[in-house]
Amino acid sequence: MMDELGLILQSLIVPAATSPFVLWLGRDLRHRAGWIVFGAMMYPTIIYGYISIGIYLGFLGEGLTAVYPWAPLLDRFTLLADGFSSPIAFLISLLSALIALYSIDYMEGSENLESYYALYLLYAVGMVGTVVSTNLVAFFLFFELMLIPSWALIAVWGTGRKEAIAFKYFMYTEAGALSLLAGVLLTKYASGTFEIFQVADRLKAGPPGFTTLIVSLILLGLLVKMAIFPLHNWLPDAHAEAPTPISALLSPAMIGIGGYAAIRITYTAFPVVMKDSRFTTTLLGLAVTTMFYGGLMALAQKDLKRLLAFSSISQMGYLLLGAASVSTLGLTGAGVLYLSHGLAKAILFMVSGVFMHSFHTRLIDDLGGLAGKMPYTATATLIAFLSLAGVPPLVGFWGEVFVFAGSMKTALTSMLAPNITQVWLISLAVISSIITAGYGLWAFRRMFFGELKPSLRISGPEAPALMLAPIIVLAFITVLLGIYPTTISQVMGQLFSNLKLPP
Amino acid sequence: MAFSSEWVWPAWLCWIIPLIGAALTPLAARVNRRLRDYFAVAVSILTAFMTILLLPHLMRGELIHNQVDWVQVPGSTLISVKAGVIVDPLSVIMANVVSIVSMLIMVYSLAYMEKEEGLTRYWFFMNLFIGNMLLLVMSDNFIQLLFGWEGVGLCSYALIGFWYRDSKADWLKCWVGEGREAYPPSHCGLKAFIATRIGDVGMLIGVFIILAYAGTLSFTELQEGAVLKVPLWLLAPAAILMFGGPVGKSAQLPLMEWLPDAMAGPTTVSALIHAATMVKAGVYLVGRLFPMLYTAAWTAGSANQMITFFYTVAWIGVVTAFVSGTQAMASTEIKKVLAYSTVSQLGYMMLALGVAGSTAEFLLGYTGGIFHLMSHAMFKAALFLTAGALIHASHSRFLYHMGGLKRYMPLTFWCTVLTAFSLMGVPLLFSGFWSKDLILEAALTSGQLWMFILACLTVAVTAFYTVRMIGLAFYGPETERLKTLKEEGVHIHDPPPAMKLPYLALAAGTVLFGAAGFMFRDWLKAVFARFLGEVLGLGEAHATHGSMAAWIVTAFSVVMLIAGAAPAYLLYVKRRPTADQLLAIRPSLASLRAFLFNRWYINRFYYQALLEPFIASAGWLFRGVESKAIDGVNSFLSGSTQRLVGWFRRTHTGILNLNVVGMSLGFILMILILIRLALGG
Repeated sequence: MMDELGLILQSLIVPAATSPFVLWLGRDLRHRAGWIVFGAMMYPTIIYGYISIGIYLGFLGEGLTAVYPWAPLLDRFTLLADGFSSPIAFLISLLSALIALYSIDYMEGSENLESYYALYLLYAVGMVGTVVSTNLVAFFLFFELMLIPSWALIAVWGTGRKEAIAFKYFMYTEAGALSLLAGVLLTKYASGTFEIFQVADRLKAGPPGFTTLIVSLILLGLLVKMAIFPLHNWLPDAHAEAPTPISALLSPAMIGIGGYAAIRITYTAFPVVMKDSRFTTTLLGLAVTTMFYGGLMALAQKDLKRLLAFSSISQMGYLLLGAASVSTLGLTGAGVLYLSHGLAKAILFMVSGVFMHSFHTRLIDDLGGLAGKMPYTATATLIAFLSLAGVPPLVGFWGEVFVFAGSMKTALTSMLAPNITQVWLISLAVISSIITAGYGLWAFRRMFFGELKPSLRISGPEAPALMLAPIIVLAFITVLLGIYPTTISQVMGQLFSNLKLPP
Repeated sequence: MAFSSEWVWPAWLCWIIPLIGAALTPLAARVNRRLRDYFAVAVSILTAFMTILLLPHLMRGELIHNQVDWVQVPGSTLISVKAGVIVDPLSVIMANVVSIVSMLIMVYSLAYMEKEEGLTRYWFFMNLFIGNMLLLVMSDNFIQLLFGWEGVGLCSYALIGFWYRDSKADWLKCWVGEGREAYPPSHCGLKAFIATRIGDVGMLIGVFIILAYAGTLSFTELQEGAVLKVPLWLLAPAAILMFGGPVGKSAQLPLMEWLPDAMAGPTTVSALIHAATMVKAGVYLVGRLFPMLYTAAWTAGSANQMITFFYTVAWIGVVTAFVSGTQAMASTEIKKVLAYSTVSQLGYMMLALGVAGSTAEFLLGYTGGIFHLMSHAMFKAALFLTAGALIHASHSRFLYHMGGLKRYMPLTFWCTVLTAFSLMGVPLLFSGFWSKDLILEAALTSGQLWMFILACLTVAVTAFYTVRMIGLAFYGPETERLKTLKEEGVHIHDPPPAMKLPYLALAAGTVLFGAAGFMFRDWLKAVFARFLGEVLGLGEAHATHGSMAAWIVTAFSVVMLIAGAAPAYLLYVKRRPTADQLLAIRPSLASLRAFLFNRWYINRFYYQALLEPFIASAGWLFRGVESKAIDGVNSFLSGSTQRLVGWFRRTHTGILNLNVVGMSLGFILMILILIRLALGG
């Protein structure tokens, strides 16, 4: 259905246009500028909530598309909010809105808050834009728009060796982005268009392996963003040393966009490549290596934020597994995983921020016995860790079950004989969820169980209400979607079944 | 038939009520502490009432199935997962065992947990547990079963770690083990979660394989032939992988080590979750999958492969029964004796189901397994509850702190003895006798001589540790600890009615089922004959009851019972000689005792050979690969860039003459290029 009201464009323009206002008004409002950011991000939240519900109930068909004229060389500027992009755009907007509220108390003492909030908005627009744009050039521009504000946010408001770490983050992602750009330009060369939905039909037969090369270049850029082993090294530093609200956006919202885009671009524009089982086996191998590597690294961490960062790397392995599953169920699972990881990891990073705010530490060994003192935080943390480990009735369960079941189905039945290599890889992936449960619950035990440490015996409530409320809202959604995931799975499954993949 | 098709709502309500009840507990706690306690107990009573309403179905022995839409993924393998309940003899029996035992234990908790902090959390997780357990039991498909399965695991984790402060001062109450293997509650909860998770992973892989071919996870559809779409060479491995779930949950070898340590939770939790109900979930699941796997084995012509599966189940069961039983012989903690015993008895049930599938004569084993599940739930719950009373009285979980309690707690003593007789399988009057003999008979008639021998040896072992436990707790001289307690003015006596009545009821139940055991056994066999015959499509199954075998088995089990009980009676009840005197004469026995006390060193092996190296390898990878190798590449890149730039910077000398020369060379180069272009164009 055509987006006659221009809802998608509004969802990008409103926050982007608010950004200079925040810069202007923020000097007087200081930390209260967070409320403006909250409002500006609630606007896209409502829009994508409406679109998602519209698709679920059927009154918006399969979603909204918008087409705008642009520079002729770059083809048309196309936007799409369908069953895959709108739930994800919804989550990104919701997280950005809630984390803006969280920032109000967390960032209170910092300087130059007006720039912080202005950049924050641009960063959020970059993420939403990446998800909804279906022109590869626009996609690339939004992709860079995510990078630059987040680089500045880390370099200025971060902790530790923030400038060096922000530089590392920038260089890694930029190297990936250049590979992505090369892939995008070669796509134009091979098909004459930048519009994702037209590439597949117009793709000219090139030399053998040429399409695979294009896809590999594009994926390389996206895998850096996803921090797939061995391209992950920027992530632990960036996530650990970014200001916590930004960590809570980087990990749950941003890195998963790599996985989102991988699915969107490869399956829509280059379906042939994804039917090559050697190619997908390679991706599965990378995915499983990443799961184990990230999980083991998380076990070895003493710093909570670093543990969460490595956990994100491991979770991106699951997302890549879903992306490489070549099945409707597996792709749906990847979409659900994006949401479940986003919800859980946002909770966990915000909890680490609560500790930094209340106790001025994020070392796990400095904490201990907090369950009695912080019952709400403890409950939310447990829910988040269990959701990561794929325990029902939490939404993470569905993500993992869909991804594993879908890829197992492809491995066993899509060819004449079962692809034994893939079966082993997928079995290993299932096994790696033990490590997820292990590092999660072990960290939980060290932080919340045992005798309360003397240094933590400070009076007062758990955390400021504005910091606790977003955590509780997200935990609640995690349980709700876990009990009844059909709203999401129906919308995504419907869309992916159009790709005519094996079930 | 209007009755059968409409009478399913209790099957839904029985798990919905406790789940909602759990969610409301924090609200009730806002009003008043007493209200919260009574509210939670009332919920469990209502739940029990719901399952009792299902009993008429048991008489009919039918399968009723009721579904609603739940999860849809259009165009995929899981195009529509329906939530549903299945009402058949297996689920009705299991649901009633769960809900009635839970109700009694909830009543017991009123008094037992009275002085504890954090009771809102306690009641919440107890009702959440009951709800999830019944959800598991009533489920008609794997996905929904997994909800219950993981849900009970979560409650188990939370309740084992109920005393999350791991207080060293309270270690007599809330830790488990002593010496090198003493663990605090939060450690034990984590251990339980991870150990069962290892089994679950196997189960999930098996489920995904079956789903890939069969395209459904509904038990009834799988039974009706979908399971045969799985290639036969893959079905047996998938089934064995799926058995990983029961191995973890029901604490069988090699994953059994979590259950003894789960005793760090409150006694009520041990009684409910780690004896009577949750650990039976594995047995229940095998019973649930049994018909479809049996069909695959015997009617689809894959007997050879599938029998491997059934033998695996039986061997794991019987070896676990023996190994764990011997561990109970040397344990110093009353709850740990009972925990080892639980593992051992669960092994019996697995043995029964395994041998049932390995022969065409499945009825004896299947009935035996389920019957033993029922009687074990009753007597083991009662034993735990009496153990709770003993721990309450002596303020310690160690048997060597008790002793001579018979005089102060006569009622508790008699309940313990009656239920312990059931555990040992003392003939005729006790339900444990009938069910255990059925299992032994199944093992014998299936022709598995070694399994039968090992199972018989376990009877002797069981008798030994049971008598030992009673002797240590109730007989002998009063211990120093009890004397000190009395000097401090503690009045040692039988517990209040809220604690007494539940175990009295359970003891009465076990005797009642025992007295009527002969009839009950045959009736149960008839129910399963009709039901399984119908499900398997074999017509009514007949139990060829070899009376010869039955007599042999009874004779054997009585002999083994006496062989085990007599030495324990002399050593621990009569104490002529005492165990210490015996060890002085026979030092070789001391090393045997150490071997058994240290759990055959299995637990230590897991920690030292598997867990600790694994965690160490994570640290090694972090330092070696992440910090050295990858960060090394990073600093090499940045370092060499800096060196390159530094080298290039030396050309920027600032000497004017050199600059002019460079500039002129540049100009000339550009002009040459332009000329070349102009000519070429």
